[in-house]
Amino acid sequence: MERKALITRSMVAMILLSIAMIFSPAVNSLPGGIGGDTIQNAGCNCHNSFPNSDVVPSLEGLPAEYNVSETYAVVISFTGGPPEGGVNAGGFNLWASGGEFSIVDATVQARSPGEVTHTEAGNDYREWSLEWTAPSHGRDVDFILHVNSVNGDDGNGGGLDEWNRLDLAVAGSLGPGLEQADPYKVLGTLIIISVVLLAATILYGFYRVNPDNFDWEHLAPWIVDWLTSTDHKKVGTLYFIASLFFLGIGGIMAMMIRIQLAAPGMDFISQDQYNQFFTLHGTTMIFLAAMPMINGFANWIVPLQIGAPDLALPRINALSFWLQPFAALLIFTGVFTGQGADTGWTGYAPYVVSDGAHTGVTMWVAGQIMLVASSTLTGINFLTTMAVMRAEGMGWMQMPLFTWSILVANLMLFLSIPAFGVGLIQVYLDRTISTAFYDMGAGGDPLLWSHLFWYFGHPEVYVVIVPAFGVISEVLATSARRSVFGYRSMVYAMAGIGVVSFIVYGHHMFTSGMSPSLRFVTMLTTMLVAVPTGIKIFNWLKTMHGGSLVYRTHTLWALGFLVTFTLGGISGMFFPSIAMDTHLHETYFVVAHFHYVLVGGTVFGFFSAIYYWYPKMTGRMMDERLGTLHFLTAFVSYNGIFWPMHRLGVVGMARRQHTYFITTEDFNALPEWAADWNLFISVSAFLFFFSNFIMIANMLISLVRGQKAPADPWGGWSFEWMTSSPPPTPSFGHFDGEKWHDLPVLRDANEHIANEPSALGTWFNRLMVPENEEEASH
Amino acid sequence: MGLITPLYDMLWYEYLVWSLLVGGFTFGWLYHHTFFYRSEEGIDNNVDNLEVGVFPVHYDNLKLEVAWTILPFFLIVYLAYISWEPLDNIWSAANAEDGYFGDECLAGEASNLYWDDSDGVYKADCYHVIGITGFQWSWEFDCYDLEEDLCAHGVVNIEGNDKPHLMLKADSAYLTVMTSTDVTHAPWFVSHGVKEDIHYGKISSQWVLADDVEDFLLICTEYCGDNHAYMIAGISVHA
Repeated sequence: MERKALITRSMVAMILLSIAMIFSPAVNSLPGGIGGDTIQNAGCNCHNSFPNSDVVPSLEGLPAEYNVSETYAVVISFTGGPPEGGVNAGGFNLWASGGEFSIVDATVQARSPGEVTHTEAGNDYREWSLEWTAPSHGRDVDFILHVNSVNGDDGNGGGLDEWNRLDLAVAGSLGPGLEQADPYKVLGTLIIISVVLLAATILYGFYRVNPDNFDWEHLAPWIVDWLTSTDHKKVGTLYFIASLFFLGIGGIMAMMIRIQLAAPGMDFISQDQYNQFFTLHGTTMIFLAAMPMINGFANWIVPLQIGAPDLALPRINALSFWLQPFAALLIFTGVFTGQGADTGWTGYAPYVVSDGAHTGVTMWVAGQIMLVASSTLTGINFLTTMAVMRAEGMGWMQMPLFTWSILVANLMLFLSIPAFGVGLIQVYLDRTISTAFYDMGAGGDPLLWSHLFWYFGHPEVYVVIVPAFGVISEVLATSARRSVFGYRSMVYAMAGIGVVSFIVYGHHMFTSGMSPSLRFVTMLTTMLVAVPTGIKIFNWLKTMHGGSLVYRTHTLWALGFLVTFTLGGISGMFFPSIAMDTHLHETYFVVAHFHYVLVGGTVFGFFSAIYYWYPKMTGRMMDERLGTLHFLTAFVSYNGIFWPMHRLGVVGMARRQHTYFITTEDFNALPEWAADWNLFISVSAFLFFFSNFIMIANMLISLVRGQKAPADPWGGWSFEWMTSSPPPTPSFGHFDGEKWHDLPVLRDANEHIANEPSALGTWFNRLMVPENEEEASH
Repeated sequence: MGLITPLYDMLWYEYLVWSLLVGGFTFGWLYHHTFFYRSEEGIDNNVDNLEVGVFPVHYDNLKLEVAWTILPFFLIVYLAYISWEPLDNIWSAANAEDGYFGDECLAGEASNLYWDDSDGVYKADCYHVIGITGFQWSWEFDCYDLEEDLCAHGVVNIEGNDKPHLMLKADSAYLTVMTSTDVTHAPWFVSHGVKEDIHYGKISSQWVLADDVEDFLLICTEYCGDNHAYMIAGISVHA
């Protein structure tokens, strides 16, 4: 009875909350005036709220069907509205989906190649002239013209002013059937195709569960079982599916960005769309692809490695996962309305709360608040599990390195993400109920967001790289058939990276106007990161010494990781030197660097993990030939993408830019070869994107046709290789209603130090272990 | 190829050399071991007797581990040390006795910016002050009372669009006084290798050391919304 009442109360609370959310002003209505994309969608509302049919706009000089690259003289005019006279007579804004406008007199100014408006001098006229050069692609072009009929007073917004809109389409010379693909439609179609493929894969998975006794009636219970499962292995698998799906979505957005940048001056996507795509590419890859990938392995492997039957808080674990798909829906909501978040993944204030930022930013922020909640719960769960559920005989300093890496990552995340949560809530409140945390006019500070964001953001990038360190330590040691070199210094180095990560974030703000002495301090601390990272790399290399390296696909990826991560680490050394950073900040040198560490580090590390632990998870071996093919194609094309970006950044190509400028007779900009390299990068990007489907195919094919995997296919030592492949549920032992029985016990080849807890270990145990003294004895 | 200005060149080359040394050392080691310590086909040579459920024997060497902790540390201290001088130069105090660019020039006084090769820094007798205001999505320059030869601004056509144009005199040091009227921007003087954020309601500044005669673009390098990529200006440095 008591439980029933509880559910009713929480349901009432949820309903009230939902009603409150409906009524809270979640989107801004913006008085945009003549300018920006606001008028594209909502009309011009600086001169009365609604269009008036008395005003008749006219756009003359455009052909019904244009010739490629030909220039046309265009005349904009209107009739009607309030009588002409006085200083202000009218205004206009003209936008075209293709081609370029050029200015012929001082009454007109360009906002961008595809958008023009009147100048202050042009305010006195009701007719304006300009030129339009047709695009070279030959596809249809849409024009949207807004005109204002002004009553002659000196200011804007007079009650008598009226406006209207004209839409015009000019057919391309390729014929009416071949209009330019709308990038939103391309993205939407690809997302739908991905969802369909995912659904088909899931249904096939259902069929494979019991092919001989197939019946649709079993489908609903089977799906409900997955949706409600709290088993760490099933939740881990759900994390994987989500992660690989979003890796694909983030990749599709990267491909659209690369098409746009393949040549200078492209108009495949508008700058407005470009800004959304790079924002969502970053957010998706970090929060919806990399983090779930790590959590997938953490879920699967950590309990197995420490000999625990499951995580300490299985239902919290399921909640952590299920927050993510819904957060993803919120994050993407804006895109489906054409108003996706356009702030960059950093979401710098005050732009993020300004009128110009898209309305989808509100949803994007709300989604990230849910991710903060998810990560916090995950952190609590893993730290608790490792503290109290390690197998007998496993002290802190006998935990496998992958488990250690998850411990360090979750500690970092747990200590840093509240700052991000606070910042996000501030932004959310600013955008919805008009608080003034980032309203500069009301005394807000733009640097407050930068501090809150990077206090989280820098540890966050280590949160995604440190687990990859753990994977490489496992894979290299097992493949070299050796004990990892310097186990203790590996642990201390990871912990050192974790500590240092909190005092280096200022290096993201070297040009922000932050106090110079603080900048100088973070310059020194940032350089210090190289020390523990160097220790790890040298230890891995030394691990191979005297070993007997068995080449498998996961070994190749681990060695590939060493190459690319070292390169990324070296390029990272250029930024802390503030003088050089003043030039390199916000260029493609930065883009190259962080893709070398995030793709070459995290993604390669976890590709290695996929090949390494796939047999354990599915009970099937993966195909080594397809794996090698995947490694070779992906490794080569990956370097083809990011290596040339270093040079492009040095010669002055800025990131987050819709296009780039090549040197002309008048002004120096990028050299001509920059365009060639950009094309090369785009081609490489497509190769890299498609090469990863080899891995997906391999996973699916091996699931059906792969050889049966033994319990310990690679000869590893930790507990996950002790259970069957795939492991039973619960993963170890059995529970008789009171106690667990038959849990594994770790032996130690170094008997002389095995049972001597260090001073730190004793203190830590006292801090973290429950009342029961007997359980605390390990 | 160096890094844009002679000021960063020494640093850039020195970092490149150390990168090559560290990279060469690491990759040499990596390639040697991947080739030399590979297993024989079909033989599982379990070197450290890894066994499931048994924490493996410790394999470490205190001297080696201390060595590759201490040596990189020394290298880093050295790299931080050599980073100091160019930084001191671009962060030079204005109106200070020990600044590199003296006081603000009096009317008619020449700045005389020059590259001091022996110290590896820029120096000048005095500097001029100019103003830059950023807004979505353009720039506004202010020459204050400077003569037209030292500073002028207008409009120039860049690839079919009218953009702001700033004309400066070569061999002159300029201190820019900058602000924004809306969101955060950052003017990047690409050929001089300097950028600094500008915020609404705050003043920031940077040294623009116009040494060579050239025409180049000023680009916005702090993301500011729709037309961020087109928030450019032409900079012309004349003799």
